Amino acid sequence: MNDYDIVIGLEVHCQLKTASKIFCGCSTAFENPANSNICPVCAGYPGVLPVFNAKALSLGVRTSLALNCKINEKIYFERKNYFYPDLPKNYQISQFKQPLGEKGFIELLSGRKIGITRVHLEEDAGKSIHKENYSLVDLNRTGTPLMEIVSEPDMVSPQEAYEYLTALKMLLRYIGVSDCDMEKGSLRCDANISLKKKGETKLGTKVELKNMNSFKGVRDGLNFEAFRQEKVLNSNEKIFQETRLWDDVGGKTVVMRTKEESHDYRYFPEPDLLDFSIPLSLIGQEKPKVGESPLKCRARFLSVYGLGEKDADTLVGEPAFAEFFEAACKYFNDPKKIAGWFLGPLLEQANTLTDKFDGIKITPENFAQVVKYFSEGKLNNLAAKKVLAFAAATNDSADKIIEREGLTQVSDESAIEALAKEAIAENVKVVEEYKGGKQQAIMFLVGQVMKKSKGKANPQMARGLLEEIINGGNK
Amino acid sequence: MDDKQLVEYVAKLARVSLSQEEEAAIAGQLHKILEYVDKLKEAKVDNVDALRAALVERDVLRQDEVVPSTLSEDILKNAPLREGNYFKVAKIIE
Amino acid sequence: MSNITHLSGLALAEKIKAGAADAAQLFNTFRDKIKGKGKELNSFVEVYDTPVAAKGNSVLSGVPIAIKDNICIKGKRITCASKILNTHTAVYDATVIERLKNAGLRIIGTCNMDEFAFGSSTENSCYGRVKNPWDLTRIPGGSSGGSAAAVAARLVPFALGSDTGGSIRQPAALCGVVGMKPTYGRVSRFGLIAFGSSLDQIGPITTDMADCAQLLNILCGEDKHDSTCAAIAVPDFTQGLSELKPGVRIGIPKEYFAVGLNVEVKASIDEVLNVFKSKGAKIVEVTLPHTEYAVATYYIIGASEASSNLQRFDGVRYGLRVKGDNLIDTYAKTRGEGFGAEAKRRIFLGTYSLSSGYYDAYFVRALKVRRLIKEDFDKAFKTVDVILTPTSPTAAFKAGEKISDPLSMYLSDIYTISANLAGVPAVSIPCGFNKENLPIGFQLIGKAFDEMTLINLGFAYQNVTDFHQKMPKIAYE
Repeated sequence: MNDYDIVIGLEVHCQLKTASKIFCGCSTAFENPANSNICPVCAGYPGVLPVFNAKALSLGVRTSLALNCKINEKIYFERKNYFYPDLPKNYQISQFKQPLGEKGFIELLSGRKIGITRVHLEEDAGKSIHKENYSLVDLNRTGTPLMEIVSEPDMVSPQEAYEYLTALKMLLRYIGVSDCDMEKGSLRCDANISLKKKGETKLGTKVELKNMNSFKGVRDGLNFEAFRQEKVLNSNEKIFQETRLWDDVGGKTVVMRTKEESHDYRYFPEPDLLDFSIPLSLIGQEKPKVGESPLKCRARFLSVYGLGEKDADTLVGEPAFAEFFEAACKYFNDPKKIAGWFLGPLLEQANTLTDKFDGIKITPENFAQVVKYFSEGKLNNLAAKKVLAFAAATNDSADKIIEREGLTQVSDESAIEALAKEAIAENVKVVEEYKGGKQQAIMFLVGQVMKKSKGKANPQMARGLLEEIINGGNK
Repeated sequence: MDDKQLVEYVAKLARVSLSQEEEAAIAGQLHKILEYVDKLKEAKVDNVDALRAALVERDVLRQDEVVPSTLSEDILKNAPLREGNYFKVAKIIE
Repeated sequence: MSNITHLSGLALAEKIKAGAADAAQLFNTFRDKIKGKGKELNSFVEVYDTPVAAKGNSVLSGVPIAIKDNICIKGKRITCASKILNTHTAVYDATVIERLKNAGLRIIGTCNMDEFAFGSSTENSCYGRVKNPWDLTRIPGGSSGGSAAAVAARLVPFALGSDTGGSIRQPAALCGVVGMKPTYGRVSRFGLIAFGSSLDQIGPITTDMADCAQLLNILCGEDKHDSTCAAIAVPDFTQGLSELKPGVRIGIPKEYFAVGLNVEVKASIDEVLNVFKSKGAKIVEVTLPHTEYAVATYYIIGASEASSNLQRFDGVRYGLRVKGDNLIDTYAKTRGEGFGAEAKRRIFLGTYSLSSGYYDAYFVRALKVRRLIKEDFDKAFKTVDVILTPTSPTAAFKAGEKISDPLSMYLSDIYTISANLAGVPAVSIPCGFNKENLPIGFQLIGKAFDEMTLINLGFAYQNVTDFHQKMPKIAYE
């Protein structure tokens, strides 16, 4: 791409995390069977009227704040008119002339700032299943609140587009407005890409790219398209302004079968919804929920806490995680261990609960205590996990649980030595195997010592003693 | 755009098919009606804001609460063509 | 037997309460009249054998009421007099239906109308035209022609209609009954199959002001299902059924009384003014300078909103479906066959007005003129409490007279349209007959949310006149 600059803009639609739809009370939950979460309003029945979901407005305001947008004092909705079976009213209630937020930006990991042209709210359409010569329509998804985020054409490479999506997902998850899961459909992305001759200011003809189903797909699709356009331009041919689909399997973009007429959406203000004001009080309510940028938080986790990138990303993935982690570190200053026990055993516990992490009762302080005890040798690995399991459900202090369950790790050498001798005596064959070169056999013996000690023995000490006894001559 | 082209263009946008006679009739009628509404060009609207509703604006919002969907089956029953729990339509060419 | 059908809703309710009439028998009496002598008028689409189940009680408990066929009644066939909804069953109750049920009224059936409320003569129904009970060769007005004719013929004591540009008031005038369009936002539109979303209102068609006030009390009020329904307190409108407020100022807009106004209509209105003058009201000339643009403004805004509202009729989820070669063809054939000629005209006009290149010149411009029209009213209401005009430029015309000249049909709404654009309440009240014994009505237009003054003036007028008590021959058994 020596002669050309790549110019990319992305249009992202993400589903907002509301319990009910944007203009009616139907559930937004993913549910089978088809057409079970519908009502006359979202099914576009005669005589129905929309009523706007307050939470969708709040989440939209929160997003606009997080994206540093200028928020319009008043917003209104418009009808986008076109016929499609998954659009029951054959118009979509959306925003056109006066979106919720405008002229913002998002900072990428690389430090680059990408402009955000606009953020607006609209209703989602339903889903169609295409059979051989007919289609089936499911309206469950119709009316789900969507936020459309349009970027400025500021991205200079497919890789940067990928980074933009990563940063956007991190941010939107962090502030709790959307799950941004492309695989589940809560985030969809269309791209616009054009090439311009290096040094020139005039933009080239842009091509719209659709049907990319993953962040990687976006990058790959844009990559292919950039090279395709380069080839076209180098052959002195013209780029057509068209919509192309990314064919993931074939690894290429193909022209979308053109629709016979251009889209005249006949936008006009939605007469069934009056204006909505965005008062300072609403902005004041949402601003604290935006908090610190997840990028800053992540950077802090890397530099100050010394975490690895993977761990940092996971912790920043949920604000609740990041908060818990930092709070726990205050009580026990070993971030790596805290992170390890959080991301491993504690999240494992969380996954068994219906409310997931929200169902975890343990406080950062008590959690830190468990990790501390493990670190000091007061609890062995197994015991620490047991304590954590109890505490996660009850928030009982570690001390309380240890006393109740008798879980203090035994690091008394003579006690363990006695058990080790017993294990050796009872498992002559295994000892022979170990002596014969099978190193792993020692672990069986360690397991026996643990069993005899009801899990309380210090496993490292047990292993050490076993080896000494077997190798170093009997005592 | 002449009257006939206008009618064809709008018929496509509005997804309404017309017979030849209807096309001819509607073209003439629309022409007259549009001539009449052109009268609005005489009104002095510089510096006048559009009034899209007579009602003073209010922020009418609803709480994010789920209302059980009890009418799903009634709605499906009204479908002219149905397959299982789906609305059936002619193939959507895409 | 027929005498009981001549009673007002309130009078019937009182008889029921006193035990002098049985609600079930009363229902049957009206039902049989509709199906018998009333059949001629073709004013009903559906007549129920038994009433829609009522749940509660009110001053009007037990009284039958008819509903225009564009208001959803759960489980009932609701068609908007259109082929495209000929076999459609509503799956939910409109808010007003809920309110009527909770007030103990007995819904008796649905009234014929102009298809999707497009029309001023009720000749645009797929079920055939409705006949004016005063002269069967004439139209009853529209689009709530069925409702007005039914009330005039005493097939029901009262009915609901809808009014977008005069569709309650004009047929009320042409049939000699009372018809009110409340302030935009007074009555919930949830369940009213939409024509002009920023213009539509449901309202009562009755024989007198007392019934009108009672129904308003039941229908009005905030509705969480309708974002355009005002959260404004509903007074007890029966308080208006009292002595005329002293010193009330009645405005006469000079633009409505220009040269060319039908002589007989003008004579009737002059008499009305005399009645009010004799009761101490002050008559003041006012001006509504943008009146000449009202019809054009209304037709663009109404048709534009309607064209979008009617897009949902596509044969996919309900209603008529005509098979086509592919999806787009199915849409086009379904809508081509399902919609009548006037519906198509409105759809085309509206789609055109909103389309790229024409949106600013037509739709936006119309919205701007709308503001000018509203400001005319605001200014006028600084010097008067209410405005008085004729309701219709003429009495009922012959069936077929205007049907092939849409523009001339549109101009029959010339006096009623502005109230919808400005959102203000208006009522038509019978005030006489022309020499062909056809009813004439006068219109009172009030300030926003001031239905009370309209009721007060109407009541005072009806106390000293008896036009509202006259009935066509067909009303007598």
